[in-house]
Amino acid sequence: MATGLDNLKHIVVLMMENRSFDHMLGDLASDPSSKIDGITPGLSNPDTTPAHNPVAVQPLAEFQGQLDPDPDHHFPAVDLQIFGGDTSPGRAANMQGFVKSYFNQQRDVKHSQKIMYYFPQKKLPVLTTLAKEFAVFNRWFSSIPGPTICNRAFAHYGTSFGKVGMDLFYINEPFKSIYNRLIDANPKHTAKLYYYDQASSTMEIVNLLQHQPELFGTYDQFLQDCKKGQLPDYSFVEPNYSDHDGDEGAIIASDQHPDHHVQAGELFIASVYNAIKQNPDLWKSTALLVVYDEHGGIYDHVPPPACIPDGFVASANDTGTGQEFRFDRLGVRVPAILISPWIPKVVDGRVFEHASIPATVTEHFLGSYDQRSPREKAAETFLDLITLDTMRTDCPDFGV
Amino acid sequence: MTLIKVPKPPQSAIDPSRPINALLRNQILHLQEAEFRLPVRMQTNIYINAIKTEGEAADYIRRVTAALHHAHGKGPSGVAAAEVPVVTPRRLARGRDIAASVEEPSKRAKPAGKRKKKGRPKK
Repeated sequence: MATGLDNLKHIVVLMMENRSFDHMLGDLASDPSSKIDGITPGLSNPDTTPAHNPVAVQPLAEFQGQLDPDPDHHFPAVDLQIFGGDTSPGRAANMQGFVKSYFNQQRDVKHSQKIMYYFPQKKLPVLTTLAKEFAVFNRWFSSIPGPTICNRAFAHYGTSFGKVGMDLFYINEPFKSIYNRLIDANPKHTAKLYYYDQASSTMEIVNLLQHQPELFGTYDQFLQDCKKGQLPDYSFVEPNYSDHDGDEGAIIASDQHPDHHVQAGELFIASVYNAIKQNPDLWKSTALLVVYDEHGGIYDHVPPPACIPDGFVASANDTGTGQEFRFDRLGVRVPAILISPWIPKVVDGRVFEHASIPATVTEHFLGSYDQRSPREKAAETFLDLITLDTMRTDCPDFGV
Repeated sequence: MTLIKVPKPPQSAIDPSRPINALLRNQILHLQEAEFRLPVRMQTNIYINAIKTEGEAADYIRRVTAALHHAHGKGPSGVAAAEVPVVTPRRLARGRDIAASVEEPSKRAKPAGKRKKKGRPKK
């Protein structure tokens, strides 16, 4: 086993909101030596005029004020985005429906083109630096071609229990949350979800916050736990989901959900990274995964692949497409970066999804564990990227 | 490695009066589901359809989150238990703050021995 993996005591996952891979990291492909599968000349979507003029990708993404209204990313809209409106049997994903989908919201041809915009890498110094300095995933997909709640469920449970939307869901035994698996284990492990503050709270309400509020801490507590070296074995960090008043003035949303300011999310990612790195003992014993829950309706060029069915079926009524869904293909690709001083600079090409999170945490801390969803059992794990025997001393520092 | 400076967003980027997005709307619905399972005295009685802005949403979310923690006897890590408020029912009044009032538990219940007896005041 690599020395870095031997030293690994903590896994931290920071899950951001609603940005696609090409939108955030696609520009890294502009470096000719890069192995990033990102933006290349010629990528486009047809517009909605009778001529179906091609709308090319452009490096014109702005931090705020551009993706308003919030691009639709519910199941029927994502189906349109991925398949371009083809509903025939045997259809193939072509990623040609993003402009059509955004047009449907305002019926404005010019505005709909903004869904193709991406960030030049200089505008995102934190995310792009982390991607270049550590392990970036070329093929990390959201678990479902749908919105936040069902996708986040895959990160917590390895399944969404048959849900494809924002509905309430309840845990179906025998699948436990990753947190319960850890704290119920013998020997016992520690796990915590850190929400930003009580006014932002968590997206994991009905199953966890309601019944096990002791699993939760605030972001201030996360910072203290990092400082004191008291981080649990597994931590899941949620950004701030809203602009709201705090004790010391207004607090800005840091989730990067459109139309929240993207730079606030950059600061938040840097803050999480710094909190870990500034404690030397923690830095050498922690792996941090930064990942986005889903693409938020924003363009990406890689067709999502098929996957092992989940054993659940969402009805045609639930999907809103007139067709049932067997959880047998993934959602749109999202940014994901694994950070540790024991990881070389690498671009990983294997297929991952959010079920890879509980799969990896379970594998590392608990080993064999049978009571997991088919999707989680089949999911790729990522700690084999921690391959170095000597700790790196050239990792970046962020001035926040 | 060189220190990488991270730019801050402008102050104008903060807008608590921004209309809530679908994510916050659903978070509120999920919290209401959880809130309805609390004892009645801990429910906010806030009419959630009146919540239109992020600031208003955050206020409701904070109150219900605190109540859920309080119902289990302690605050989240990072918030002292004594700081956890109990929300008291209040009807939504048009034109008024939609949030319910907040009281500390100790202020809500007077000791039995000091409770005033009901009845006509002595003349």
